[in-house]
Amino acid sequence: MATSTSPAPTQQRPRPTRDAGSGVNFGRVLTSEWIKVTTVPSTVILIVSTVVMMVGLAALAAWAISITQQDLASAGGPQGGPPPGFDPAEQAWMVPSSGLIFGQLLIASLAVVLIASEWATGMIRSTMVAVPKRMPALLAKNVIVAVVAFVVGAVSAFLSYLVAQPILGEDLDFSLSTEGVLPSIINTGTYLAFIAVISMAIGTLLRNTAGGVVTAVALFFVVPVIIVNLLSGLADWIPDAARFLPTNAGDQLVAITTESDALTQWEGGLVMGAWALVLLVVSLVVTQKRDV
Amino acid sequence: MIEAQALSKRYGAKTAVDAVSFTVQPGKVTGFLGPNGAGKSTTMRMIVGLDNPSGGRVTVNGQPYAQHRAPLREVGALLDAKAVHTKRSAYNHLRAMAATHGIPNSRVKEVIELTGLGPVAKKRVGGFSLGMGQRLGIAAALLGDPHTVILDEPVNGLDPEGVQWVRHLSRGLAAEGRTVFLSSHLMSEMALTADHLIVIGRGRIIADAPIQSIIDGQGKVRVRVRADRPQDLLGSLAGDGVSSQILEPELLEITGVEPRRIAEIALRENVLVYELTPLQVSLEDAYMELTQTEVEYHSHDLPTADQAAAPVEGR
Repeated sequence: MATSTSPAPTQQRPRPTRDAGSGVNFGRVLTSEWIKVTTVPSTVILIVSTVVMMVGLAALAAWAISITQQDLASAGGPQGGPPPGFDPAEQAWMVPSSGLIFGQLLIASLAVVLIASEWATGMIRSTMVAVPKRMPALLAKNVIVAVVAFVVGAVSAFLSYLVAQPILGEDLDFSLSTEGVLPSIINTGTYLAFIAVISMAIGTLLRNTAGGVVTAVALFFVVPVIIVNLLSGLADWIPDAARFLPTNAGDQLVAITTESDALTQWEGGLVMGAWALVLLVVSLVVTQKRDV
Repeated sequence: MIEAQALSKRYGAKTAVDAVSFTVQPGKVTGFLGPNGAGKSTTMRMIVGLDNPSGGRVTVNGQPYAQHRAPLREVGALLDAKAVHTKRSAYNHLRAMAATHGIPNSRVKEVIELTGLGPVAKKRVGGFSLGMGQRLGIAAALLGDPHTVILDEPVNGLDPEGVQWVRHLSRGLAAEGRTVFLSSHLMSEMALTADHLIVIGRGRIIADAPIQSIIDGQGKVRVRVRADRPQDLLGSLAGDGVSSQILEPELLEITGVEPRRIAEIALRENVLVYELTPLQVSLEDAYMELTQTEVEYHSHDLPTADQAAAPVEGR
């Protein structure tokens, strides 16, 4: 076969001009990551269903509490008062954060999916060609997912509060100014933000959606249950240490009142935040070194 | 301009890229040619920082890719047509990429038109054909209007019209003074598109030269000769580096001697020569000759019935 080549081309046009202010900066990477979150249907569906589920659960919790309260009231009189350790009013104050139990599952899935799906589809290579320093891209993803989780948590808790009042009825409804209620509503958001960052780090390290979700669920649900139910008898320090698991610490973060020997709200928040920070740093370091 | 210096990549005991050094010049199309598994993609991935080199360094326009403030404006790369979230539309994918550099949506629409993606831009990428995926990858590569364009196997999966389009695009970009670095395992495509060739085999550069000089230099001169007494002619021609084949009683193919020298000898020996045709060596022949010893996966003839019982190794 004969081959031919064109004569060496000459420069017909000057090199394309470039706008000096057109580089990568964190704000632009944030914009890019926000576009990514909002342009995949599954993430939007997950966000909406999290709010719906959390408010729905809170309404159910409020309904259950009011039923119990009515039962206690009608059975009351001679026996006098509720059983020890059960205070319907205090239970009612926890209603706004009661959606967390499942809400965190959805937010964990969202965070894992956001990063692991990039690995699964190969999108991560486009991301890292556009932002070759890598860290800004991953940080932006974490900021977005944390802010989304915070807003979802705080808004759901506030909506839950509003929905719960008529269900709780005149005996149990409470005002936002009740001590600890407003911080609990806001920290429902904080809790989910920490869950999101921890889960995204897990997703980043495992690069696999299914594996990431399973690992996150194990860390948040299974490990605490195993420790409390099976292992706590083995040694005195085990239940002590279990207080520092992320979800156990998180429970303290949203609590209205805390026992004297338990972590306070602040301590719970700091412990959970430390989990998030450490895992975030590990995931950043690993990503920096990895071949994509 | 892309400059690689002693660039290496090892995966465990296996060396994918073995201390390669080369320069890809602006203003022309440089073909990166090699058999599958030769290290083309790995080299290209190291250029844009997706893979960390095990040794050596590579710079684009004087700096490592990751050090550029606006990498997409320096280099546009199509490395993998499937580097896209399957649930996102082509338009939104490009929009997200563009946003990292503050590239306006008008440019996104421009590259969509340029690559002919208009009719499918709002559809999910998951449903794209391989060819459409390639066009989307090329669109992403062109987003930043980059000085340097790197395309890994860009014609894979394209129809003939698409192949021609990539050829024109590459030549056009080079004519504008840009650096165009194009990989392929298809020699015929390179022959039509590239000005300069870098041939890689088993992770090593085995040729780095203008395409014509690879064709000229590799294949030795081959001449078809029709003569009435071929034996006499061959007797006088015999010497170092000369080989010949008698194809028909009066038809010869002689390798390693210039046509003029054959004519001189024929004249001296009084042999009647009635055809003397220099045969052009194709790039394909040159390439096969270059890479013969550097191919990682050799194909074998299919086993015959009695051999079929024994498993045949792929290499």
